[in-house]
Amino acid sequence: MILSVMTILGSFTTPMRIGTNPASMLWLLPLVAAIAIVYKATKVHKVQPWPFAKETALLFGSIILFIVVAALILHGVAWIVTGQLSVLLDGSAF
Amino acid sequence: MGLSWKDNHALFLITIGALAWLVPGGGHLALNERRRGIIILVTVLLTFLIGLYVGSIGVVDPVHAKPWYAAQVMNSPAVALVGRVSASGDYPVYARANEMGQIYTSIAGLLNLLCIVNAIYLAHVRSEQEAQA
Repeated sequence: MILSVMTILGSFTTPMRIGTNPASMLWLLPLVAAIAIVYKATKVHKVQPWPFAKETALLFGSIILFIVVAALILHGVAWIVTGQLSVLLDGSAF
Repeated sequence: MGLSWKDNHALFLITIGALAWLVPGGGHLALNERRRGIIILVTVLLTFLIGLYVGSIGVVDPVHAKPWYAAQVMNSPAVALVGRVSASGDYPVYARANEMGQIYTSIAGLLNLLCIVNAIYLAHVRSEQEAQA
């Protein structure tokens, strides 16, 4: 028992290894879920399981959708600046 | 001589705010908002613990990361104890794990700040309604 408690406490003293691969972006999901749950817990008039879950899921989906759209726009801007803009400038009269 | 209604009201709001800071969701639980309180307690605590697990207690750094620490301490005054342990510099953490840990623990703190404000607002509205009734 004491050994398990010490093991659990010990796991909080060494950081995890998190790579910089695209899969690491999935770490945003629990955070967005927490934000949606707490925000809705402070906003709904009465906390009832089904309506609360529905409203939270809707907010979670909206945030994720907004992040995806923002990521696509930024990816598009980066693609134009790094790939297309240099080609256009090379071919210009300047 | 008894306190005036306004003094009592202010003391009530301060007590609710302090409870909400001491234990996430504590303010709502004191206002008999059991479901709301439990949801806040579990979510804020879990988010904070995920942050600590990912980045270790080294992410609570009152020496080199003061702005993050200000947000983290909004979780509960107990975070200051973690800060005292990690201030020794025995738990260094760098790179992505540090970023993730700081983001999770700080967002948990800011979410709890939102709940503290909400609990105080609820307490204010209720006392106003009771005073009018």
